[in-house]
Amino acid sequence: MKTRRDFLRSTVLGASATWTVPMFIERTFGQLHEGARDLAIQPTTGKDDTILIVLQLAGGNDGLNTLVPFADDAYQKSRPRIGKKEKEIIKLSDYVGLNAAMPFLGSLFKEGDLGIVQGVGYPNPNRSHFVSTSIWETADTGNHSNTGWLGRYFDNACPGADPTVGISFSKTQPESFGAVKNPGVCLNSPELYRWIHSGGEKDQAEQFFADLNKPNIQVDHDDDEVLEGGSIAMAAGGKVGGITGEGNLAFLERVALDARVSSKTILEIAAKHKTSVRYDGTPLARNLNLVARMIAGGMPTRVYYVSHGGFDTHNQQVNSHDRLLGQLDSGLKSFFADLKQQGNDKRVVLMTFSEFGRRVTENASAGTDHGKASCLFLAGSGIKGGLHGIHPSLTDLSEGDIKHTVDFRSVYGTILSDWLKAPNLKPILGANYPKMSFVG
Amino acid sequence: MLEQAKESWTIFEAAHLLNRAGFGGNPSEIKSFHALGREKAVDLLIVTTEPLDAFPPPAWSVGDQALASLRARQQAFKKNSRANVGMSPEEAERAKKEAIKMIQQEGRQEALDMQSWWFHRMLKSLAPLREKMTLFWHDHFATSIQKVKEPLFLVNQNDLFRRNALGSFKDLTQAILMDPAMMLYLDTQSSKKGKPNENFAREVMELFTLGEGNYTEQDVHEAARAFSGYYLNKGSGKVAHDKRQWDSADKTIFGKTGPFNGKDVIGLIFEKKEAARFMVKKLWEFFVYENPSDAAIESLSVSFQRSDFQIAPLLRDIFLSKEFYTESAIRSQIKSPIQYLIELLKQLEITDPSTGFVVSAQQQLGQVLFMPPNVAGWDWGQAWINTNTLLTRYNIAGFVTKGTGGDEKSMDTTKVKSFGKDSKDKRMGRAWYGPNYKEIAPHPLREIPSDLVDSLIFRFFQCPLPDKARKSFIEYATSEKGVIFTDKEIAQLCHLMLSTPSYQLC
Repeated sequence: MKTRRDFLRSTVLGASATWTVPMFIERTFGQLHEGARDLAIQPTTGKDDTILIVLQLAGGNDGLNTLVPFADDAYQKSRPRIGKKEKEIIKLSDYVGLNAAMPFLGSLFKEGDLGIVQGVGYPNPNRSHFVSTSIWETADTGNHSNTGWLGRYFDNACPGADPTVGISFSKTQPESFGAVKNPGVCLNSPELYRWIHSGGEKDQAEQFFADLNKPNIQVDHDDDEVLEGGSIAMAAGGKVGGITGEGNLAFLERVALDARVSSKTILEIAAKHKTSVRYDGTPLARNLNLVARMIAGGMPTRVYYVSHGGFDTHNQQVNSHDRLLGQLDSGLKSFFADLKQQGNDKRVVLMTFSEFGRRVTENASAGTDHGKASCLFLAGSGIKGGLHGIHPSLTDLSEGDIKHTVDFRSVYGTILSDWLKAPNLKPILGANYPKMSFVG
Repeated sequence: MLEQAKESWTIFEAAHLLNRAGFGGNPSEIKSFHALGREKAVDLLIVTTEPLDAFPPPAWSVGDQALASLRARQQAFKKNSRANVGMSPEEAERAKKEAIKMIQQEGRQEALDMQSWWFHRMLKSLAPLREKMTLFWHDHFATSIQKVKEPLFLVNQNDLFRRNALGSFKDLTQAILMDPAMMLYLDTQSSKKGKPNENFAREVMELFTLGEGNYTEQDVHEAARAFSGYYLNKGSGKVAHDKRQWDSADKTIFGKTGPFNGKDVIGLIFEKKEAARFMVKKLWEFFVYENPSDAAIESLSVSFQRSDFQIAPLLRDIFLSKEFYTESAIRSQIKSPIQYLIELLKQLEITDPSTGFVVSAQQQLGQVLFMPPNVAGWDWGQAWINTNTLLTRYNIAGFVTKGTGGDEKSMDTTKVKSFGKDSKDKRMGRAWYGPNYKEIAPHPLREIPSDLVDSLIFRFFQCPLPDKARKSFIEYATSEKGVIFTDKEIAQLCHLMLSTPSYQLC
């Protein structure tokens, strides 16, 4: 596997009489600004470390119909049309149960490998998708930070790591990857994650060409009901971090180098692993499948990021919300089966998050409006299963929303120190938050 | 008023204006644009003679045919449910699925039609600034076919943006309140007295006019009441106001109290000076560079508000300002995917790319027309670029410059059958041989590698490149030249020049 160092060394030493295309590329890519050059002289990360998967539920997941407080009269009264009855759920306690669209997560809970943190949020919550997503991804409730919590983890706790320390399966870089030095990489399809430059690569050129000629417009007419949350269907990008004062050209050169270095590694690894586990055809399942392949191939990646969109359920939400949760459940079922088959299940923890929950009371369109606190899932054998945190009251509300009982930065902090073994949280989260006990 | 640039200008400045106010051009287009002089060139962009209907939209979106098919679709659903009486649940389910499938296929084809139509219009239009502003408004008042689903509403909205492209921001915002696509996108068709839906009220303040921090939660709640009662008449395809569903009681917004309706709220918003500043800053960042100085924005905002939010004079001031041509502006912007693709095709003098290519390239690079990711529109600048999209840009450049390698048999033709109905699409899809290099790099030019490279540098970068980069290209060209410089070798050289960080800038 070539590292940044190898690339730069070949650039420096690569004085050659004849110009080949690869030589040209290495020379051109090697012309980097100082910042990237410094970064290059570093060791790489190990392959047997723990791994975190961050799964975004974009659009504001209705926590109250995900982890349902079925036994609470206030819940049933506030949601006469969309509320779940006791017989419609997977009971977890006398008070709450899981939405029945998630049988796999229900069984994982019984096995003790699913932790559910209740009432997660932050002080002075913001109800804008974009601001609140930024807050979650940057872990800065003031929304001033230009870098993300995972990007700061890469920068501060993984010195000298290759760009593949974080991989996001998306077209835009998630804000949480925003970093000063190392923002990880984004990719869609490992086979095409390369530069196709000469005639000797017919297969790749053809596949790329075929992809280029296969328009695939997703107009969701699956149901006659409205596609919920189309207005925030996809993960939003946004702040990308970057070195202060760095111009666009320097930024581009840095990304180009990362692309060169990571492309080789990823191609090699993607070719290695094929699974016999069946995945659904949803984008989420496809991406979880890719994550599993990367892990099986021994990538040095510590954090993978995938996204599942469509949770902005303002209108007729019951079917669409249940369907989205069902897709999540099914994707995770395949993913964890795959990891088990590989023997990597003990190395992986998965965490979900969403920018906010939704209003307790349903709206006139049998949907729910933007809310505040919500629940999140932690899955994996490294997790202490069960309910964590205290479920917020459904009667002591703030502007019609439940109040948070757990600050999301406590969840991040616990994962960072107890699972990813970050030595020091100060530079990542800015402060220390009360530790929780869901790891182990 | 900003300091003005002087009338005489360089060809690089002319190219910069054409890149930013439009989608660039080939060397001869840039030369004639430069010859106009700065002020005439700016006026040509702003006062266009190209008729609004110069590019007829897809037939299904026009006039009676459009309304007829809109109604037919509504009818199909109704008839279907009536016909289902007497069927077993399984049969009814199957019949429903069939009907939905048909509508789905029709919708998909129509979405492709309009994406291709607008892209070609941007590529060929003689009013590039109007198209660029249409794209700006599409991003600003973002709606997506994924949720709106009715292609007609997006074609109509596109027409609204084009008509008002350089007109009044205030009038356009009022029109958006009555826009069917926006209504469906933000779910406001179901906002009723008593239980108003806050979506539109929030986005109109946060994203469309004032920006975060310039209104309170209370303003949003109160405005949502004022925005109740608007509904979409699906038969006529128009938005109307139903007084019975409207909350007619007093509301207090920005400290003012009255029985406001939606139109009144937008009027109140435009009394705030933040509305002018918000739009001026956004336009500056779109056309010039990010993080402008407060002073520049402040001075432009004052005249913008005084002109009742007219876009044309504001852009004229910007394009004639000295600041627009400074080093921090020229070739400092990361091309959006649409900008990247259209510039690339113009520079290589390709006028008729296939629908399949046009739409898939947009998807792979992360900007599909009529499909912005969410109501905040696309994220611009550095957000376009990551390891994945950068490699994809390099590979798209390879496809466009080199074609399919000229070996027709090696391509699996079944893969390209699915797109495009006309034979032109198939022709280009199956065997795309690349641009006409006889025109782009005529044979005499190929004799001297440094001239060849300099000519291509102007074509692709419209400015001198650092010596180091220029020398690498010349060295490469010299080593490749051999006895004659074949088209294939020119293509290889072009592909290398385009597979660089610098090419991502305009």
